[in-house]
Amino acid sequence: MSEKRFMKGNEAIAEAAVRAGCRFFAGYPITPQNEIPEYLSWRLPEVGGAYVQGESEIASVNMVYGAAAMGTRSMTSSSGPGISLKAEGISYLASAMLPALIVNISRGGPGLGSIQPAQSDYLQATKALGHGGFHAMVFAPNSAQEAVNVVYNAWDYAERDRNPVLVLMDGCLGNIMEEVELPPMKELSDEDLPEWSLTRRNGRDYQGNITPIYTEPILEGINAMAGEMYKAWEEEDVQVETYELDDAEYVVVAYGIASRVAKEAIMELRAEGYKIGMIRPITLFPFPKKTIHDLDYSRVKGIIDIEMTIPAQMREDIELQVAERCPVYEYGRSGGCLLDDEGVYDAIKDILTGGADNG
Amino acid sequence: MKTSFVFSGSGGQGIMSAGITLAQTAMRMGKHATYLPEYGPQQRGGSAKCTVVISDEPIISPLPRRCDNLIAMNNLAFRRFEEDLKPGGILLTNASLVTDEVNRDDVTVIAAAVDDLALELGNAKAANIILLGILIGATDIVSKEAFAQSLEEKFKSKAPEVLALNLAALDKGIAIGQQHKA
Repeated sequence: MSEKRFMKGNEAIAEAAVRAGCRFFAGYPITPQNEIPEYLSWRLPEVGGAYVQGESEIASVNMVYGAAAMGTRSMTSSSGPGISLKAEGISYLASAMLPALIVNISRGGPGLGSIQPAQSDYLQATKALGHGGFHAMVFAPNSAQEAVNVVYNAWDYAERDRNPVLVLMDGCLGNIMEEVELPPMKELSDEDLPEWSLTRRNGRDYQGNITPIYTEPILEGINAMAGEMYKAWEEEDVQVETYELDDAEYVVVAYGIASRVAKEAIMELRAEGYKIGMIRPITLFPFPKKTIHDLDYSRVKGIIDIEMTIPAQMREDIELQVAERCPVYEYGRSGGCLLDDEGVYDAIKDILTGGADNG
Repeated sequence: MKTSFVFSGSGGQGIMSAGITLAQTAMRMGKHATYLPEYGPQQRGGSAKCTVVISDEPIISPLPRRCDNLIAMNNLAFRRFEEDLKPGGILLTNASLVTDEVNRDDVTVIAAAVDDLALELGNAKAANIILLGILIGATDIVSKEAFAQSLEEKFKSKAPEVLALNLAALDKGIAIGQQHKA
């Protein structure tokens, strides 16, 4: 049975996590994600789960490591500065092959940056969430509803892969209230505990061991397995939305909040007769390479990367697929200044009418 | 039909609460709504702003640059956002605090001393509901009945006098707003 509520994106993430079976959260406060821990602080105890406000980000992510090792669906959340602090622990989760959900509600950066929203953590999320060359699947929802959907499924991916999953969403979407339809509670029992979990199950004693430490040549084999897993994601798990691509001469690429502002501008430009469409990555890793690579570049005259950060960060991933077959343009706002519909409309129109350089 | 509202003022004036209640009421009536709060590190006394978009269709961009209705609770907010109001829009000011001259001649200006009116009703905190009442009376953006339901929901855990005060504030506002109905 589903139900509709008017919720902040952050609250929607928290409730979806509970309904997905999450029973452990540890975190440390930071704007603009505070509604997630606030919500879970009362909601998790209601369902027999545990909420801990850790003494630091580092302690919190390592508590998640412990809970995940026991097979408990576990999560932490933060914003850019806190995700940097958790980086070591996230790398250890990947090394120990433990599933967990990490949520980054992003704000302006670098450093302390701004408490206002920004999409400034794309590179961190997709290229180096921690040291050691690992990746996590990165989901970038563009509404409270889509945030519910991806969080509800996050542990299914994380447990399948025995690897952390990241949800990256900017502070705007974290704080916007809109209507969401909530899915039913997943009722998990001890039978659902992963085989590898360090827990007593079916009368067995503690089983297996979880370690983040390997020596050569075992580590090389583990690195190679991870490499195969990332390739499989590209084949199986890319999520992307396309809009009006069939006759598009210009294609906007945008994710998260930027995709919503851009779509409104595109609809207006379409109404004026411009042939323009959009590619919206929902998974930033795996990136929808094929969708961009396979565009018909005999027709497409330009790609426009729109992000709420300056300089654009997704651009390099786009350019690799475009391979110099057409110009790539970018437009953004940054440092806590928000994109808005008229600004994006003007920027795109400038490009369409030849007023902008690709630089 | 898509309509946008910016509520602006300082923390403690009920800006966020007004925005949420309006958006929730729209949803109650089967419309689509988004509510985006923006504030600085301060709480009480700091700058507070929220943007509400209400539409019959699902809302794509929740980030309009300009709004159809600007509600300004003090001079600072009024000066900061005056230019963001679309021509033909409604500028609703709290005349108890907004004393600066209005520079726009292409908008409908409604100046109401809602702080004073709320005090007359018995509690300064009802000023934001009077403002919403004015907006409802002037635009019919939501129905009085649906908004009253939202108030009942909002104050159900409070003493009955709190709801009564807010319903009186709503009536007061609607009466003023109706005088400005286009």
